[in-house]
Amino acid sequence: MERVTSSSNPALQKQFAMALEAHLTQGGEAALLEAYELGRTVLNERLGVLDVATLLQGALVAACQRRPPESVRTVQAAGSFVLECLSSFEMAHRAVREANTALRGLNQFLEDQTRRISHELHDEAGQLLATVYLALDDIARDLPAPAAARLQSVKTLLDRIEEELRRLSHDLRPTVLDDLGLMAALDVLAEGVSGRTGLWVKVEGQREGRLPPAIETVLYRIVQEALNNVSKHAHASAVTIVIRREARRVWCSVRDDGVGFDPGTARPAVKGIGLIGIRERLASIGGALSIDAAPGRGTELRVAIPLPNDSPRELRS
Amino acid sequence: MLPSAIKYEPYMPLVNGFLPPITSLPAIDEIRVPVESDTDIVAARQKGRALAVRLGFSSGEATMVATAISELARNIVLYAKRGEMIFGRESNGDGPILVITARDEGEGIADVRQAMQDGYSTAGRLGVGLPGVKRLMDEFEISSTVGQGTVVVVKKWKE
Repeated sequence: MERVTSSSNPALQKQFAMALEAHLTQGGEAALLEAYELGRTVLNERLGVLDVATLLQGALVAACQRRPPESVRTVQAAGSFVLECLSSFEMAHRAVREANTALRGLNQFLEDQTRRISHELHDEAGQLLATVYLALDDIARDLPAPAAARLQSVKTLLDRIEEELRRLSHDLRPTVLDDLGLMAALDVLAEGVSGRTGLWVKVEGQREGRLPPAIETVLYRIVQEALNNVSKHAHASAVTIVIRREARRVWCSVRDDGVGFDPGTARPAVKGIGLIGIRERLASIGGALSIDAAPGRGTELRVAIPLPNDSPRELRS
Repeated sequence: MLPSAIKYEPYMPLVNGFLPPITSLPAIDEIRVPVESDTDIVAARQKGRALAVRLGFSSGEATMVATAISELARNIVLYAKRGEMIFGRESNGDGPILVITARDEGEGIADVRQAMQDGYSTAGRLGVGLPGVKRLMDEFEISSTVGQGTVVVVKKWKE
């Protein structure tokens, strides 16, 4: 007899076939409980829905081969067996859906907090510093020259604090991203990385119109993380960032001319802990990421994010 | 002897001694199934599923009911040794509601919040157990007292 099962686990396949046969011949709740327990067991063994479906298909085919083709009742009973086996996967599926919603909320919360802290650093702390400058000038006027000179060195320190605050605030959440959008923010980011590292960074893409804020944020963070990785690991001289918008999705590519790596053998540390954050951010909005790298031929990180159907393609800020 | 089911039902709309109108009380024809072995789990599932079918639930919904019963009964057998399950019906304006009560006088659960969390450490078990039951049902209530026992009441509305 031809073997029809394609399951990679013959022992499990046999168990499924026997349990289904017992259900079809004897029926009753005990056999259905057996079906549920089988489903629960294979879920615990980390099988996927399609693995279970394959096992069930094998069991169903085996059952049908022992029966005349009239058996509507058999197929119906087999159907309830199938439902039982998949029920624990339904629970797991609901758990994943719930976790995804929670993840999305958490990301939003983090982003909101970051924005708040960034703006407070920029506005509140900046205001306070300005007041301190004025007060110092005031004191300096009443002081003899040598003491006023010492105050000047305090002001030099304050300048550094102000610059540091500005940089912190910008790294947390560039106001330009909120005010002028992704492309403008990427330009500023590129300029900053260029200035700090000497990398030649080019930003390409359509400059008119805005994307939904959540997507702009994720793309900005991804490019930020990618540039971070390039400057740390790639030994590159140039990076090109491309943002391409289509009707249904937006693409992003970050390509460098550095040393690249072998994705097959790269240790997790080389792949970058930051990538985990990127993948989670992407997952929460249904995006996907791929990395194209080979030793000596640079690295390209590609991202695709679906746009919501009702997303206005030309939204004025 | 187990105390009466009514005493444990925290969802009963009893405010300041005001008795709710008789229509919102659980139906009198409750079905009780003692649970202390795998055979009893089968019996409980059979009774619960039959009621679900009688109330007009789809086979998918009936499967979810059977799954909830399995998980609750399994907990009783595993952790409390014995207890009972009670199946009843309620109705609101939209249609029938199947009510499942699982009670035991076991050790109780010290940390209910923890029991309601998914087992993060073992990824394979994702979503089964009490959190899974909660997701399959429309209403879920648990109360547990250490040394006295646990009561879980879940409800499934007919879609």
